[in-house]
Amino acid sequence: MNFDIDPADVAFREEVRAFLRESLPADIAERNKRGFHFLRDDMREWTKILNRKGWSGPNWPSEWGGPGWSPVRQFIFEDECFMAGAPWIDTAGFKMIGPVIMSFGSEEMKREFGPRILNGDVFWGQGFSEPNAGSDLGSLTTRAVREGDEYVINGRKIWTSYVESADVIFMLVKTDPEAKQRGISMLLVDKNAPGITIRPIIDIGEGYSLNEVFFDDVRTPVKYLVGEEGKGWSYAKHLLDLERAFSAEWPRNKRNLEQLRAMAGRARAGGERLIDSPGFAARLAQLDVDLQALEWLTLRALYERKGGNTLPVGSLLKVRGSELLQKIGEMQVEALGDYGAYFYDDPHATPAGDMNWPPGPDYAPGVVADYMYRRATTVYGGANEVQRTIIARSFLEL
Amino acid sequence: MDFQLTQEQQMLKDSARRFLEDNCAFEARGSVIGNGGFDVGHWNTFAELGWLGMSLPEEYGGLGGSAIETALLMEEFGRVLCIEPYWAVAVLAAQTIVASGDQDKAGSILPALVAGEACPVVAHGEPDARGMLSYVTTSAVPAGPGNWTLKGNKSMVIGGNVADRFIVSARTSGAPSDQTGITLFLVDRSVPGVKLHDVRLIDNRWCADIDLADVQVAEADVLGTVGGGYAALDTGHAHATVGLCAEAVGVMEKALWITRDYLKTRKQFGVTLSSFQALQHRMSEMLIELELSRGMVHKALSTMNASPEVRQLALSAAKVHVGRSGKFVCGQSIQLHGGIGVTEEYVIGHHFKRMTTIEYALGSSHFHLEQLAAMERKRVA
Repeated sequence: MNFDIDPADVAFREEVRAFLRESLPADIAERNKRGFHFLRDDMREWTKILNRKGWSGPNWPSEWGGPGWSPVRQFIFEDECFMAGAPWIDTAGFKMIGPVIMSFGSEEMKREFGPRILNGDVFWGQGFSEPNAGSDLGSLTTRAVREGDEYVINGRKIWTSYVESADVIFMLVKTDPEAKQRGISMLLVDKNAPGITIRPIIDIGEGYSLNEVFFDDVRTPVKYLVGEEGKGWSYAKHLLDLERAFSAEWPRNKRNLEQLRAMAGRARAGGERLIDSPGFAARLAQLDVDLQALEWLTLRALYERKGGNTLPVGSLLKVRGSELLQKIGEMQVEALGDYGAYFYDDPHATPAGDMNWPPGPDYAPGVVADYMYRRATTVYGGANEVQRTIIARSFLEL
Repeated sequence: MDFQLTQEQQMLKDSARRFLEDNCAFEARGSVIGNGGFDVGHWNTFAELGWLGMSLPEEYGGLGGSAIETALLMEEFGRVLCIEPYWAVAVLAAQTIVASGDQDKAGSILPALVAGEACPVVAHGEPDARGMLSYVTTSAVPAGPGNWTLKGNKSMVIGGNVADRFIVSARTSGAPSDQTGITLFLVDRSVPGVKLHDVRLIDNRWCADIDLADVQVAEADVLGTVGGGYAALDTGHAHATVGLCAEAVGVMEKALWITRDYLKTRKQFGVTLSSFQALQHRMSEMLIELELSRGMVHKALSTMNASPEVRQLALSAAKVHVGRSGKFVCGQSIQLHGGIGVTEEYVIGHHFKRMTTIEYALGSSHFHLEQLAAMERKRVA
């Protein structure tokens, strides 16, 4: 054991900071420091800026055109980017389907999509969940039947994020209805293919990032089968494993807590600073302790050598990271006082620069929307109850 | 950074686990408790294995390890609920002596401590301090040139019942909570005026409550400098706090696995308890709390060479987390055991008792959270 930070990683953090100071457009940073959903155009523009620097696929190895950073450097990069107000790059493309294509896809598929993902030229919708298969992906019913050079897809997907502005959907389908998990395959489908109907789902923060997608005799070429038929389940598991150390949502938790701290210094309660009212600072400090614990368990996961611990760190981090987001959000809403109940329109709903927000402190817009949307964090990515079952079965052998 | 144990660290951990499970396990504690929590044979083995000097500089006969080695050992002590005063002597007292910068005294005491021949403990805590390290009301009043008279009361001096001497903190100037004006004195247990009251704690460790009634000490008994004892206490307590938190991780971890095994064997309603999802999820929560606490120990260890302020923040945060997690993990362990969990005979309740004493030692979770809250108020200023 040795907890000294590598000076090269410290220097790397400085390099990232300097880059962000120079290259992150101020208007993008301003927009993204609020809790509203990212604007797709911002994500696209930022991805192109990153790509010019060779940094757009932080988690991609150099042979795929990424910078080839260690997990620790990816962590530092995400941390700094998010704190500075950069939008995420397209998670579905960079962290989900991209690595799966690069690991299991055909050469043709790699050439077709790799460079376009890196340059933000293709955006993805992720079609895993179905109305009757939330965290239980084994119960998928969307069917794909092979007819000549095409698969014909029928079924319904739900909770597909950002599919409205996606170019391609990657989805899990049943190619063999008899087999449970072995009958699942992964397909890519043109979002504009005939037979696709998208129904927006507005979340409880009145934000729009979720959709229900209907597939009615939708055709996709066989060359868009990822890897082998029947292996979709293991590819899906592969991509979920890749994300284990990042499931604490560390940057978001960290930024939200810093925002709460700033709010507690500016908000007044009975004429005093909110931070000075009895109890508030202690509750804030408790959240900070929780955040530190999450950071150190994340670090452990990042530095863990292969074949070492079998602790299901991803599940541990998912459970506590998502809960912490909700707790911090709760205190942010509390810190807003009366303004916590005011409705602030999402910039997505209005042309940029034309916000007609109600009165309130400048930090208010976006807080409640995010708090509301983040009720989903304990549900998505495998509900926390499912994570607890995974922990109990896999590690505690109960 | 590297979270993996080195080969030497792994060997230390393995050998500690083997020895402690074979010799100091819960079932074997009875006679040791009767002997004031001390077994000469065990202590000599601790010395032979190098544990007493594990984290002490080589110049004093130690093995030159760091707080990490201390933490590894303390975790193992926690697993078996060891009651012997390793922590009080080899961590708190030894590190306080090193930190005093008094090389002459360190050179005369520490090699003997490492060999198991000297047994000093720190007599610093007072009943009203409740975690505030600078709170000292015990007084040292000048009594002629180079001499002082000590007066006061020191509470819960762990291992004080078997110690051969005490590192007594006393105020040579200033008000009770001042960091300046605290002086450390080495006081032999047989010095007139030292009245010891041996006490068995609820977790079966032993301590002494000490009355200092006009105890005469001389210039030669000062450890470090007059009025400059706080920094040494602070560093000694930093080692002690991270060690205690590591011990708590051991206490929790063992409680968790004992409970896991119990759920897999005990049948109710015709099935093993382990088949109930409500109980599985409870166990998962216990594991999460345990591993997050371990993370806080790692963080605290990473700050041991940082400034005292940075170090203290990390230690307070660790103490807060461990306090909450420990109560939860050990409390739920009793709950999942049902009736047998509350019997004195069965081991699990003793994990809860140890966690209870850890929670209130060196400042409770509440105390440390208040320190962090005060920091938050400053931070947003």
